[in-house]
Amino acid sequence: MPALECKELCKSYGRTMALDRLSLAIEPGRIVGLLGPNGSGKTTLIKLANGLLTPDEGYITICGRAPGPESRRDVSYLPERIAIPTWMSAKQLLDFYGDFYEDFRRDAAEEMLAHLNIAPDQRIKQMSKGTREKVQLIVVMSRAAKLYLLDEPIGGVDPATRDYILSTIIGNYNPEAAVVISTHLISDVEKVLDEVIFINQGRLMLQSSVDEIREEKGMSVDALFREVFRC
Amino acid sequence: MLRKLIKHEFRATGRIMLPLYLVLLATAVGANLSARGMLETRYVALDILGSLLVVAFTLAIIGVFVMAFVLMLQRFYKNLLQDEGYLMMTLPVSIHQHLWAKLIVSAVWFAATVLAVLLASMVAAYDVGVFKEFLLIFREFFLGLRMLKISEALNGTVILAEAVVLLFLAMVAFSLQFYAALAVGHSYPNHKMALSVAFFFGFQFVIQFLGSMLVIGLDKIGAFHFLDRWTLTPAASVHVGLLICIVGVVIYGAIFYGITTLFLKKRLNLE
Amino acid sequence: MQWQFSNDAPIYTQLIQQIKVGIVAGVFPPGERLPSVRDLATEAGVNPNTMQRALAELERDGLVYSQRTAGRFVTEDKTMIHNAKCSLAERHIKEFLEAMSHLGFQREEILSLLEQEMKEEGKTHASA
Repeated sequence: MPALECKELCKSYGRTMALDRLSLAIEPGRIVGLLGPNGSGKTTLIKLANGLLTPDEGYITICGRAPGPESRRDVSYLPERIAIPTWMSAKQLLDFYGDFYEDFRRDAAEEMLAHLNIAPDQRIKQMSKGTREKVQLIVVMSRAAKLYLLDEPIGGVDPATRDYILSTIIGNYNPEAAVVISTHLISDVEKVLDEVIFINQGRLMLQSSVDEIREEKGMSVDALFREVFRC
Repeated sequence: MLRKLIKHEFRATGRIMLPLYLVLLATAVGANLSARGMLETRYVALDILGSLLVVAFTLAIIGVFVMAFVLMLQRFYKNLLQDEGYLMMTLPVSIHQHLWAKLIVSAVWFAATVLAVLLASMVAAYDVGVFKEFLLIFREFFLGLRMLKISEALNGTVILAEAVVLLFLAMVAFSLQFYAALAVGHSYPNHKMALSVAFFFGFQFVIQFLGSMLVIGLDKIGAFHFLDRWTLTPAASVHVGLLICIVGVVIYGAIFYGITTLFLKKRLNLE
Repeated sequence: MQWQFSNDAPIYTQLIQQIKVGIVAGVFPPGERLPSVRDLATEAGVNPNTMQRALAELERDGLVYSQRTAGRFVTEDKTMIHNAKCSLAERHIKEFLEAMSHLGFQREEILSLLEQEMKEEGKTHASA
C-alpha cells in the first residue's frame, strides 16, 4: 500500500487552480523530492495530505486512509513556517509531542538538541530564527512515523546545519516509512533522494528515480530541473 | 486525547491567569490597607496613595475579567487559526476535541475569575467596618434560611443550581458565537479579521431577528395561552422560565457549535 | 574516506567506483567487515537504497560478500583485489591518454613528458 496516494486530485483557490487532476503514488521506503517552482502546488499537496485543506475533486490517502485524526498518527509534518508555540521551552515542546504522539522518541530528540547545542530550558521565543527551525525539525524527525512530509526543511538554515539535517534524514531511514521533501535547493538534496517528482501549475510533469535521470539524460536532477523550468 | 488537550490548554493559559490572580490578591491587600485608614487623613500623600490603591484594585478586577475574555478569544484564534494551527490541526485529535478543550478551559477560567474576585473582595474588606455589617446581614440571612420549609429550601437550591447552569451554558454559547464568527471569517483568503467581526454582528442580528420572530409567531398561534390555563406557583413559574432559557441557550450554542466545526473541518484555510 | 560525486553519472556507479578505490587502497582491508548500509550512506551523504544497490553490485562482482547475520565483508581473495586495482588503473590511464590526445600530444611526446615529470617527482621525494 502506498504511503501517499492521490488520484485526479483538484484544488483551486478562487479562480486559480493550485492542483489540476494530480495523480501519483509514493511507496514506503522511499525518500522523494517534491520539486517545482514557487506556486507550483507543492505546499497545497502537502496541506491536502495533512487534511489542512479539503480536496475539490479526486482523493488523497495516507497509508490507505483519508486524512483525519487517524491518519495523522502516521504522518510527521514539518510546515514551511514556525508553528511550534514560542512561549514553550524546548523541553516543554518535547513534553507536548510525547503526550500526543505515541511514536515520539524523546531520547532521540534530546540527543539532537544536545548535538546542536540547544539548551532545553531556553524558551523558543528567545531563540534565533534558525534555531527555532532546527527545534521544529528535531521534534518532527524524532517521530517514528510512516510518512514524513517536510515542506522546505533546509530553506533557512546554514550549510553546516543543512548537512546535519540531511544526515539525520539518512540516519533515520526506515524501509517502512516514506519521506517527502519539498524544496527548491535541489543540488543539496539530490544525493539523498531515491526519486523526484516535478510538478508545475498543479500538474505532474515527471516522476522518476534520480539515477534513472542521470543515466538516461547524463545530467543531474538539478540540471534537468533548470532545463525543464527555464524562464 | 481530550484530557491531554485540556492539560496543555491549562498550561498555556495558566501561565497568564495565575499571576494575574496573584496581582489581584496583592491589590486587594493594598485596598484593605487603604480602607483601614489611608483615606481622609491629614497627609495629602497618604490620601493619594490610598486612593491609588483602591483604583489599582478596581483595575485589577476589570483586568482579570477582560483577560479571561481575551484569552478565550485569543487561544482559539492564535492557537487554531494562525501559525500554531499548522501544529494543532495536524495533531491526531478531532475538531470536536479541540473545540471542547477550548470551551471547557475558558469556562473554567471564567468561573475561577468570578471566585478569585469574590475572594479578593473579601480580602479587601477583611476586618473593615463596612464589611462587619455586611457579615451580620449574611448571618441573619442564614439564620432565616433555617426557618424555611423543606419544599422552599429544595426549590431555592434547585433554582440556584438552574441559574448557575444557565450562566455556565450562556458563557459557553457566547464563546461559541465568537468561535463561529472567527472560523467563518478565517475561511476567506483575505480580510480574515474584518470578516470575522462582520460575521459576529451578522450572527447577532440573525439570532435576535429569529428569536423575536419565534416569540411573535408563538404568540400569534396562541402558544402562550397554556400559561394562563396552568395555575403555577411563583416557584414553579421561575423553574419553567429558567428551563426554557436553558433550552434556548443550548439551541443557540448548538447552532454555533455546528457552524464552527463545519468550517474548521471543511473550509479551513490557514495562511 | 572522502566521498565526492560528479553531476553527470548515476550516483550508484560512482559509489561502486569509490568503494572499489577504498578496498584497493586498504581503507577497507581484505576480510574486514564493512560498515552497515545506513552508516555508509550517512557517511557518504547518499540515499540508503542507492548505497544498497552499489553494494549489491559489488557483491555480484565478488569484491564483497555477505554473511546472513554478520553483515558484509571485503573479499579475502587478493588476486581479485589486484584485478580491481588494475582495472581502476586502466581507467585512469585511459582518461589521461584521452585528455592528452585532446590537448594534441603524440604518443612519444606523452611518454617523454611522463618520464620527465616522474624524474622531478623522484628528486623532490629524495630531498624530502
